Parts: sequence; C-alpha cells; structure tokens
Amino acid sequence: MADFSKISPFQVDPSAIEEAVTFSPEDFEPASEGEKESMVEKRKSVSYWKDAARRFKANHVSMVALFIFILVLIFAFIGPKLIPYSYGDQYRSSQKLGPREFSEGEALIAKASSYFDGFYATALQPGSITAVMKGEQYVTKSGKTYAFTQEKNEEGVIIGFEKSSGNLVKVYEKDIDPATGAVKNATVLAEEPSEPAEGASELKLVKRVFPHMFGTDSVGRDLMARTMYGARVSILIGIMAALIVLIIGSIYGAISGLSGGTVDFIMMRIVELIYSIPEVLIVLLLQVVLREPLQEWIDHSGSSLAHAAGALGSGIICIFITFALLYWVTMARIVRGQVLQLRKQEYVTAAIALGAGNKRIIRRHLLPNCVGALVITTCLQIPSAIFLESFLSFLGLGVSAPMASLGSLCSDALQTITLYPYRLIYPAVILTIIVLTLNLVGDGLRDALDPRLKK
Amino acid sequence: MEETKKNLLEVKDLKVSFFTPAGEVKAVDGISYNLGYNEVMGIVGESGSGKSVEAYSIIGLLQKPGKVVGGSITFDGQDLLSFDEEQMRNVRGKDISMIFQNPMTCLNPVYTIGNQLMEALQCHDDKITKEEAWDRAVHMLELVGINNAEKRMTQYPHEHSGGMRQRAMIAMALISEPKLLIADEPTTALDVTIQAQILDVMKDIQKRVNTSIIFITHNLGVVAEVCDKVSVMYAGKIVEQGDVNDIFYNPQHPYTKALLASMPRLDEDGHERLIPIEGTPIDLLNPPQGCNFGPRCKECRKICLSKKPPYADLGNGHISACWLHFMEGAAKKEEA
Amino acid sequence: MVSYTLKRVGAALLTLLLIMAITFFLMNAIPGSPFLTEKSTPQQIALANAKYGLDKPLIVQLKNYVVNYLKGDLGTSLKMQEGTPVKDIIFHQGKFVLSIKLGLISLAVAVIIGIPLGCIAAYNRGTWLDGFLRVMTTVGVAIPGFVLATLLLATFAVKLHILPTNSGQLTDWKSYIMPIISMSFYYVCYVAKLTRTSMLDAINQDYIRTARAKGVKTKMIVLKHALRNSLIPVITYLGPVTAGIITGSFVVESTFQIPGLGKYYVQCVMSRDYPVIMATTVVLSALVIFMNLVVDIAYKIVDPRITLTNKEA
Repeated sequence: MADFSKISPFQVDPSAIEEAVTFSPEDFEPASEGEKESMVEKRKSVSYWKDAARRFKANHVSMVALFIFILVLIFAFIGPKLIPYSYGDQYRSSQKLGPREFSEGEALIAKASSYFDGFYATALQPGSITAVMKGEQYVTKSGKTYAFTQEKNEEGVIIGFEKSSGNLVKVYEKDIDPATGAVKNATVLAEEPSEPAEGASELKLVKRVFPHMFGTDSVGRDLMARTMYGARVSILIGIMAALIVLIIGSIYGAISGLSGGTVDFIMMRIVELIYSIPEVLIVLLLQVVLREPLQEWIDHSGSSLAHAAGALGSGIICIFITFALLYWVTMARIVRGQVLQLRKQEYVTAAIALGAGNKRIIRRHLLPNCVGALVITTCLQIPSAIFLESFLSFLGLGVSAPMASLGSLCSDALQTITLYPYRLIYPAVILTIIVLTLNLVGDGLRDALDPRLKK
Repeated sequence: MEETKKNLLEVKDLKVSFFTPAGEVKAVDGISYNLGYNEVMGIVGESGSGKSVEAYSIIGLLQKPGKVVGGSITFDGQDLLSFDEEQMRNVRGKDISMIFQNPMTCLNPVYTIGNQLMEALQCHDDKITKEEAWDRAVHMLELVGINNAEKRMTQYPHEHSGGMRQRAMIAMALISEPKLLIADEPTTALDVTIQAQILDVMKDIQKRVNTSIIFITHNLGVVAEVCDKVSVMYAGKIVEQGDVNDIFYNPQHPYTKALLASMPRLDEDGHERLIPIEGTPIDLLNPPQGCNFGPRCKECRKICLSKKPPYADLGNGHISACWLHFMEGAAKKEEA
Repeated sequence: MVSYTLKRVGAALLTLLLIMAITFFLMNAIPGSPFLTEKSTPQQIALANAKYGLDKPLIVQLKNYVVNYLKGDLGTSLKMQEGTPVKDIIFHQGKFVLSIKLGLISLAVAVIIGIPLGCIAAYNRGTWLDGFLRVMTTVGVAIPGFVLATLLLATFAVKLHILPTNSGQLTDWKSYIMPIISMSFYYVCYVAKLTRTSMLDAINQDYIRTARAKGVKTKMIVLKHALRNSLIPVITYLGPVTAGIITGSFVVESTFQIPGLGKYYVQCVMSRDYPVIMATTVVLSALVIFMNLVVDIAYKIVDPRITLTNKEA
C-alpha cells in the first residue's frame, strides 16, 4: 500500500502528491462490490415501538414518575392485604387516634405482646365483633390446629401461645400490668394440637399490634386502610372513566371522520354543542337525578349487572354515566382529527387505490397510527376523571361511606381540618401524587410516541 | 491584504459537528472556498450533504446541538467566528441576508408583509422613520416584481401565493442592501413556472444591488442558470469545485458525473436514459474510512476503501477530490 | 364580522335553549316533588303543584319557561326563599356580582400571571428558573382546588390569623386573597405550562429563523414574533378555563363561606327549587357561552389567518 504520511487532504497539486507518495499497482485496481459494501456500517433499523420504548426509558422524569406510580399502585392494591385493618371496620375505643398512635387497649396489648408467640386480642377487633365467640374455636400454628371451647362471649381477652411454655393460653386484659406489660394469671386452654369440631371458627393470630400509621377517624376506622382503599377506588374510577371515554370517543370520532360529508357535519355539530355546555352544572344535576333511581334499581333488580353495580355504589355509577354522556367529546375530536389527517396520507390513498376495504384500512393503517394519540389522551384522561370524582365527593355527591375515595376522604377530613390536619394531608398527598405521576407519565408517553418530536 | 480585497468571503477548512446522543455527526467536514464580490456561487448536493448547515454557520444561525469545531470564516476582512452574538446580530440582515426554502412557513403569519419588511430595516437603524422605512419597503417590493406594492404591504402572508411570498422574502433579505445573500433552496418548494420567475428576479436584482450570492440547491438546472461557479458537496465535503462551465461540460469527479447523468438535459442530442445514482447517502454517524462516495462509486478503487482522497488541481480554479486524478501519475512513476 | 357575530349569537341562544331543555327534563327526573315533606298530604302537594303550574304537561311547562325567559321573567322561588322572584335572588342579592367578581379576577390572574410565567420559563429554557417553574406548574396542576383552598384556610386563617376565615361579602381586599388563589392557581400553572410549550414550539418555527436572519434582537423575537403566535393555543384554552373557574367557585364559595351563585346552585339542586335551578343554570351557562364567544373573537384579533366564517379550515 501507498505511504500517505506526507499528504494532507488539502493538497491540490497532483504531482506533489505523486512525488510524495509511492503507490503500489494494486492501489488502483477496481474495488469489488463486496469491498464497497464493507465500507458502510449499516445501522440497525428500529421498530416504532422499540424506538418509543427507548425514548421513554431515556426520559428520566417520566421513568421516576412511573416508578412512583407503581409504588402507589402497590400501596393501593397490595397494601390492604398487608395490614390487619379493613377500610370499613370501626375499631371501638380507637377513635380519633393520631398517626402511629395506639389506643389505651392497644398500647396495653402491645406492651404484653412479647409474652406471646402469636396472639388474638379482642381489643384489636372491630367494634361489633369484639368478643371471643361462644362455642368451639381454634387457632392454627405451624400447620397444627389447637381447639378450645368458650363458655360465654368474652371481651377484653387475649388468646395466644405463651412464649415460655408454648401452651395456648387465655389472658384477661385486666391481668396485664400497664406499666411493665407483665402478665399474671394465664389460663391454659390447650397444650397439645387437637382437631376442632365441625363448625368451629378460627381466630387469626398476629405477632404484634399493628400501629394506625395514618391514625383513625372519628368512628375508629383505620385511615391507612381507608386511604389504601380510597386510592384503589380513585385509580379504578380514573381508569374505568378513561376507558369509557376512549371507547365512546374513538368510535364516535372514527365514524365521523371516516364518513365525512353530512354525517360528519351533523356529528361534529353535536360535539360542539356538548362542548359548549358547562358540564359541571349538568354533572351536578345528573348526580342528584340518577342517585335515587340507581339505588332503587340496585336494590330491587335481581340481575347480575345490578349486583355488580351495587358493589360499586350508585355514586360511582353516576360518575361513569356522566363520563359516558359528556366527557368523550375531546377524545372524539382528537380521533376525528387523526383520522382526517391520516386519510389524507399517501399510503392510505395508495391502499384505497389498491382496492383495500374500509375494514382493512382501519385495521392496517388508521388504527396503528392513531394508537399513539389514543394512548396519550387516555393516560391524561385518568387524572382528570380522578379530579372530577374528588370534586363531586367534596360536594358530597361521590362515593358514600363506608366506601371511600381519595376525594371523599379529603372531604371528610375538612370538617375537622383544624384539629386533625393529617387526615387531609395523607389522602391529599396521595391524590396529588397519583395525578402528578400520571401527568408526567402521559407527557413522557407523548414525547415517546409522537414521532414529530423525534430528535 | 490583497487577498481580502479580492474576496468577500473566505471559508477555510470549516468543520461543523452535531453532538447528538448517538455520537458526533460531522455535518460539514473541512470545506474551503472563496467568494468574490458580485459573484454567484452555487452549492449543490443532495439532502443531508451539509449545504444548509454550512450556510447557517456563516450567518450564525447554527442551532444546538450543532457547533463549529474548526476552520475560519472571513467575511469582508472580518473573522466572523470571533464575533459574539450581538456583533453577529448586527451583521445578520445588514451585511449578510438569507432566504429560505419554504416561503409558506418563513413569514410570520400574524404580522403584515409590510411590518416584517420594515422590521428588517428598523432593527438595524434606530433612527429611520416609519415613512422612510415604508417607502423603501414599497420600493423593494416593486423591485422584486410585486404589483400593487402599497396594498400588499398591509396584507398578511396567508393572503399571498407561494411565489409572492418568496418575492417578499427576497425583498426583505435585500432591503438593507447586504453584501452577501445566502439563498437556501429558494425555489425548491415552488411550482416550476414560479421557480423560473423567482430565478429571473434574483438574477435581475443581483445586478441591480450588487450583492454576492451563495445559492444552495440540489437542482443543477438552477445552478447552470444563475451561478458563476459551483461547489459540489457530498457527505459534508466539497468533492468538486470550479467554474460553472467546467463543472457542467467537463465534470471530473465521479459524483458530479453521476449527478449530471441523473438529470435531464436539453442541450445535448439524443435521448439518453437518465441514470440514477445507486445506493443511499452514507450515515454521517459512521462515515467510511476511505472516500465518502466510495460505496456508491462506479469507479471505486482499492485505495478509495481506506484513504480519503486529496484535492487535485485541474487548473482554472477547478479542483476535484478523487484518487482517479492520481492514477495516471502513479502509473507513470511506476514505469519510471 | 357582524354577520359572523350574529351567527354565533344565534348559535349561543340555541345552545342555551337546549341547556334549558336538558335542565328541565333532568330536574323533573329527580324523584319526588319539591313539596314532598314528611307531613305533606297528597292534597297539599297537588295544591302546591297547581299553584306553581307543575301540574301541567311537561312540554307546556317547558314552553312556559322559555316564553317567560324571553320576557325576562325568571319565575319565583319555590322553596329556598319561597315567593321571592328568582331575578332578585340572583341579581339583587349580590350573588351574581360576587361570583362574577371572583370569576373575572381569577381569570385575569390566570392570564396576567400565567402567560408571563410561561414566557419567562421558555425564555430561560434549561436554566434553574425554568426548572423551578416547571416543577411548580407540574405540581400545581396536580393539586385539587379544594385541597389548596383548605390548606390555605388552615394555614393563613386558622393557624396564623392573617386572613379571615369567612370571606363573606368580599368587603375588604384581605377576603379576596385566598379565594382568588384557590380558584386561579391551577389555571395559572396550566396557562404557564401551555404558554411555555407553545412558545418553545413557536421558537422552532421557520419564521423565527427568518427573524433571526434579519438580525432582530432576541428579546424582540420572543416578545413580538414568538409570543403572539404562541398565544393562539392559550386563547383556545380560555373557554374551558371559564367553565373550570365556575366549577372552582362551587368549592371555593363553600370553603370560604361566600354566598355566591356557585354555592347557591349546589343548595338549590339539593332542595329541588326548580325555577332557581333553571335560572342559575341558564345564567352560568350563558356566562360560559359568552366567554367562548369572546375567546373566538379574541382569536380573530390575534390570528389574522382565521376568517371567522370558516374556523375549521
């Protein structure tokens, strides 16, 4: 090969170069196709979704938001399984506790808990079933059952395994020393594993007294359990409402955009009309109007649909109906816009020219190209639904007790805001985090899915 | 000193890179040329060859992540790269103007044509009165062949056709009588008949206002029509440069040849088939080690695979960067 | 312009008519009667129904509403303030004035603070100031109005005693502060976000490049060329803002105990005072529709491309 060390790319005199460089004869032999191709390093082509995923991952803010949102999801959906309290149960003598506070009874049991190796305490049970029931009962430990018989319903008792002896014992709360937690007078109920009789009820043992992390409300309901439950309800309302909007809006928008002409004109005038109605006024009216008939239907219709609706409560159903009636217009407009825009694209014209049917065009061309806009709008619809629900709950029109949503929890907390500000803070912060993270994830999705912003 | 007197613009070994997350893209990789007073130079190349980037770096409109990483730009004896933003602003629109490809989007839709024309004067001259600016704007519009100029002044861009808007853009660029006009594909977005009109306007007005023009285009026909000399760019480098006649009738670089073979010509007999250039432009993120055009070149030699070709001086300012120019000499030397 | 305005006013009246019809049928779909109490007999209810014309067929009742409204007669209250003309309740008892005052000030605050904040953020893109504003606005649009209102109340009125807990008739400037902040904060943040985005969008447009090539000063590029174009999406958003501010007024008026129209609306829906529900709905809707009209005309002023007769094009 030639020696190039002496030439610069700006040398313009051929003879100078020829003098400076000794070429070898093969330098000027034609290069083969293979050699030419090997000069170019081909970059891998990336699919739209892979590219979008890469962009989303590169967006740190959205990734952090997604991570926090997943944490909230875990809090809302897995959390209730991890704590011993339930959203509806009212714990007698545990009313109005602050965060991490124990009621007197709970504090006493907490003190004595080291005496036991797993225990059941009546004071830790919700108000109406505080007593240890009369009759045959059993507890389980390491897969073995220990049965015992109760002569009468009793309150203020702890049943558990004595750490020192391993026996199943019963201790009365009054026999615990409030200062040291020392236990006197433990009655042995069972020493060996035994088979419970038919119809015996099981007592669930706990290892320690679980604190009320967020405190309790005025009727002794655990606020963390309620916040978890409320977050779950709010998220589900948001997702359901967004799906309703997605389905109605995209079908309406697609029909309008694809039909064109008079149909499109009329459909869009309807959208404009709904758009100019101040929806909140109608929502409030609707809430009041629908509430009673819905309750009636839920109570008296035996259908499974009514049963399912009953589980949700009339307030939530009202919110869904409201969304189905009024809130789909934005989605319809966006979808119609997308459809109109895409219909003008050459590849769609080409597909039509090739004789592709409407169905095929929708499935193969319009849908994949609309997906980005649909995902983004739906994602951003969720927080707005959560907002609306919380607003209605604030006005006393959302979900009804003992059910809870973040909005109703905030609203409940308002009456006592000066005394117990934390009751507002926890659900409000969770609500804000949900809306914030969803907004940020939605923004990230928009940046990732919208190729126009591709850098 | 004499050198700067002769040339309005001297670009030496200019290098511009874009620093993208995927790596450094050498959009302009060491180009040099001189442009004399009243001279019209064409820069030809396909999309992505770095023509526009080069122009933006002259007028200081290079946007992040683009950055000039080497070389020099001397304009009228001044080193433009040493100017700060405020100094550059004073040059822009006054000494160097630019017109762009798409007249439909290049005028601000919410202000009248007159407002935008007068602004070009007012932002360089605080003392100019409104009446004076108005008169000069009207005069300029008439000069670029817009009838009814007074009325046009009060109209908005959307009330004008593409050709009218491009005329207005030209008027706006030339209103402060700049020494250099950079026209970045000024006719590409227009209908063919309008293209011809705009070219006529530009040729005509160039003579009247005595300005040099850098004409950026991918259309060789346009170049033949208006330019004195031509630089052909490929993948960030000038591959061939010379007098317009040399480039058209005596092209030396395989890329220029291929480019000419790919366009229809009316001045030659016979009905030759148009020959497309095979392959696609190279990926500037991963440029080849050898000649950038190598992978697509019909004449590619072994030496082209590994080493970038230097320029060969072909006389009369005609230079070309191709190893083929060295083949003969090398063969002779071998014999000797 | 005149014919367009007339057309739009016609469409607005049609919308109002439709809203009246919807409201009317929804009102009547509320189970029970406004006069149903625990001790009322069927005869008493029938008598009361007859007195207020509620025994007539629905369509006739609706027609009566429309005819009376055209005459400027909004009817009399059935329950809330029995026998009082609704017009007096809404307009003369200061309810409307209070709500309008709060609404307009909040709207003005949203625009006057939101747009400059957005500009500042866009102008200083990538700096700590932009970062701070982005965090503020992003968090701002995630805080429900009632939470903000309550937190403000708890902090400034209850804890610090700087501001009054009861804003009442909004007699002094202090009583405005918290209601206005609660109502406008979300929209300040939203408008700022929107302005920033559309400003950055505008800055990437070709005409900005042209302006730069002309040698226009950066400040002028932002204030003259980018701002006006970026205002277009912001103005589009102002229609929904008005509706949103009315929503906000429901919350704010009950939190700060302001006897405005929003609070009253919720009360009269609950108590089924038909004529008051109808009148309040119509008045508030008219307000929103009127604002939409204003927005469309403002649109025309900012964007000369819009020819008003054909907005879609």
